[in-house]
Order: sequence, then C-alpha cells, then structure tokens
Amino acid sequence: MDILLQQILNGLSIASVITLIAVGVTLIFGLTGIINFAHGEFLMVGSIVTWLAVSNGLPFPVALILGVLAVALMGFVLERAIFRFTLERPTNGFIVSLGLIVVLQHIVILFWNANQKSIPRPLTTVWEVGGVRIASVRVMVILMTIAVVAMTYVMITRSRYGRALRASVEDRDTAALMGIPVRRYITGVFVLGSALAGLGGGLLIALFPITPFTGGTMVMKGFAVALIGGLGNLTGAVAAGLILGIVEGFSAGYGFSEWTDAYSFGLMILVLLFRPHGLFGGTSGPKMA
Amino acid sequence: MTLLSVSNVTTGYGPTIVNRDASLTLGENEIVTILGPNGAGKSTLLRTIAGLVKPRSGQITFAGETVAGQPPDVMAKRGVVLVPEGRRIFADMTVEENLRLGAYTRRDADGINADVRTMEAFFPILAAKRNDKGGSLSGGQQQMLAIARGLMARPKVLLLDEPSLGLSPLLVKEIKAIILDIGERFGASVLLVEQNAGLALSVAARGYLMQNGRIAISGPIAELRDMSLMRELYLGGIKETA
Repeated sequence: MDILLQQILNGLSIASVITLIAVGVTLIFGLTGIINFAHGEFLMVGSIVTWLAVSNGLPFPVALILGVLAVALMGFVLERAIFRFTLERPTNGFIVSLGLIVVLQHIVILFWNANQKSIPRPLTTVWEVGGVRIASVRVMVILMTIAVVAMTYVMITRSRYGRALRASVEDRDTAALMGIPVRRYITGVFVLGSALAGLGGGLLIALFPITPFTGGTMVMKGFAVALIGGLGNLTGAVAAGLILGIVEGFSAGYGFSEWTDAYSFGLMILVLLFRPHGLFGGTSGPKMA
Repeated sequence: MTLLSVSNVTTGYGPTIVNRDASLTLGENEIVTILGPNGAGKSTLLRTIAGLVKPRSGQITFAGETVAGQPPDVMAKRGVVLVPEGRRIFADMTVEENLRLGAYTRRDADGINADVRTMEAFFPILAAKRNDKGGSLSGGQQQMLAIARGLMARPKVLLLDEPSLGLSPLLVKEIKAIILDIGERFGASVLLVEQNAGLALSVAARGYLMQNGRIAISGPIAELRDMSLMRELYLGGIKETA
C-alpha cells in the first residue's frame, strides 16, 4: 500500500508534465485545427533553457520563468512566421510541425550536443508520512500544474477573453462578426500553449534528466491524453491526464512499470474504438468555409 | 444624410463573379431592402459590406470613410454589424453569453449590463431562457437572439440577412414589428435582405431589386410594388431567369 501511494504520486507528477503538453495541444487544435506535433520539442526547449540558466548559476525559479518566457516567445515567432500561413489548411500545419521536430532537435544538438542533461534537484526534502516517502519536488510539480491549469480553466470559462476564445472555437466567421479579432486570439493561444510546454519542460528537468529527443515520447503521450479526453476539450485533457497518472502509478506499484507506455496507448486505442470523440467529447476543429 | 454607400462593387468566389458593379446607399435611420431571387447575390453583397468577403473592385464608404476590404472585426467595431443568414448562434454557449459576445467591442460594463436587460425586456423569451444553451432554442427564438446579439454592439448599421427564413407566419409578423422598432429604439439603420417580399415591402422605405448580381431597379417601395417588371422577375417568379 505504501509503495502504491508512492507510485501514484510518481505517476501523477509525470502525468502533470504530460497534461501541460496535452492542454497546449488541445487548445491549439480546438482553435486552429492544427495538431502541433512539435509541441514536445517546445517542451524540450523549455528544459534546455532551464538547464542553461541553472548551469549558469541562476536559481531554479528564475530559470523556470526564463524557460517559460523563451518558449512563449518561440511560439509567438513560429505562429507569426509559419503557422498563420497554414490556417486555411490545418493539415499543412501538421506537416510543418513534423518538420519543426527535426529542426528544433538539431539546433539544440548543434549548440549543446546530444548528451543527457540534468540539474540538481531544486527541492531535496523528502517527507516520511506513515511509511510513505514523499519527495517534495514531485509535490511541487503537481501543485504548480494544478495552479496553472486551474488559472487557464478559469480564464477560459469566466473571462471576456475566454468567452471570445470559445466563440472563435465554435464559429470563426461569426466570432469575427461580433468584433472579435480572431487572428490575434490564434496567436494568443499559440503563445499560451507554448508557455505551458515551456513550464512542462522546466518541471520535467527538475524530475529527470532529459536529452534533445525527450520531446518525442512526451508529445506522443500528451497527444494520447488529449485524444482520450476529446481533442479540443480542456476539461477532457485534464481529466485524462489525471487518469493516466493514476493508471501509470498503479502499474508501477504492482510491478509492471515496464508496461506503463502500453497503458496510455492501449487506453487511447480503447477509447477511440468506443468513443471516437474522446471521453468528454472533442471538437472536430474549426469549420472550414 | 448618407451613412453607408456602396459603389460599383464587384465580388466573387474563385472564378465565379457574384456581384457586378452593385451600388446602393443607406441613410441614417432608414430601412432599406435588397430584393431578388435566390442566387442573385444579395447575401454576398451583405457579407462584403460586413467584411467577410473582400470586394474585387469598387468602393464602400461608411460615415465618410473608405472601408472596402476591412476585416469583419474592424467593421463591427466601426458600427456595421451583420446578423448572418441561418442565425449562427453559438450553440454551446448560453443565451446570456451570446448576448455579451455581441457587445465584445464595447468596454462599458455598466452599459453592457443595462443593454442585456433592455434586450431581455424587448425579447422576453431571452430572459426566460437566459441560462439555456443557444443550441436548445427554437428557430424563431434563435432569430430573436441573433438580432438582439447584433444590437448589443450598438450598431449604426444593422445588416439583416434573411431574418424570416424558416419561420412561421406568426413569427414573421413578430420579426416585422421588431425591424420597424429598431431605428426608433436603438438608433440603427437597417439594410434588409429578404426572400419574403411581403415582409420586405412592408417594412422598408426604399428598395433595390437585384438580378444576376446586378442592381436591376431601385426606388421607393411604393414604386417597386407597382412595377410589372418586378412582379415578373421576382414576386411572381414566372419568367425568372436567374
């Protein structure tokens, strides 16, 4: 039981990072219909920037913020320079994102080689509660994810900007007739999604060492989570992230840790077989005129 | 005084020309209608004025400024608001959210709240359904909501595209009363596109008859009503060539 709780905590901390990716993937898809597979590389760049900053003597919180800002800026530039030209044909955006994977990986390798990179754990305290060892760094990752995702959720469901965003997701043309500058919202969502990936990257390297190829596995799982929840559905992505964390925790707790990847993808296949729009119902992307 | 003027506007999609040299004017506090058979290019002309379609050539001026080719969000901000054909209600959002979206260009929170109440008084069904999803409303209710949502922007020009489409005769009467009220209550001019000629002729002061993308005839409603050509082309539809 103690081991199980510990494994579930571990599962949830890694699922937090995956949820941060899934939220970005799902928000960008919902508004633009573009599935950005380079989102994992956005996360990897966040890890690299955090690693660079810590290696240069900056404290972890500052490094984390730098990682978020750097990836947000990168998302802004890529949307303005590339993705906005694929808005009428989201499939082209998807293909472009596949190319970006290679480009981003190799830029990183060119400057900082392909070796594993790690930082000292920003929090080293381990609490012992009734025989369960709780690493504070994992708790930090989970709490930060909860806080950021909750803020995103409140913004989207409650604020004027969130309302306009949801309207743009539902019907771009009619949203524009309301005076909503839809193009600016698209840029905004790219920046927000990128910032979340940057945060995920900074948190990931606080947990594990990373390589320039870490993004690939992470985005596959993030995409699986987004699909399980229903592509385009924020609540679905968060709930599916939680499910994945618990499932992976259980599998590791019962000694099947080598099977964890099979669970997430097996779950994805099952959900898509029986509920093609995901557990919580997704969107089919924007209606194309 | 002329508020909106369209001169020699040509529009099209791909290789197809929809409007050819279309011209019209709309004055302050005026209700003007564009009549014509299906496929004459009426909706495309409205969508062009609203900024959803870019004109190939020609000029559009609003309140003395050139606005042809401006995007729809800029046109809405300027005060030219289209209530689109098929209502296009945000189905997953509540009636109140739909209304508030109509006021996106405004920042006066008190004024917006007051206008939500005004709309709910003007269209009582919207008050009753305030927290219902837009998609759960009937066709007639959705049309009321679409007009109210358009008015929430406090437009100077309201472009109405087929507001009577698919509505029962009783509801058409209600829509007619609402259109007649818009100028007085909300100070907006109305440019109305309708296939229901009875409705259009009974609310508008002037009209344009469109055929094959061109304005064929224009004049005061009384004159249009009497024209035998119009009857042939449009009302009777016997010799319709479009």
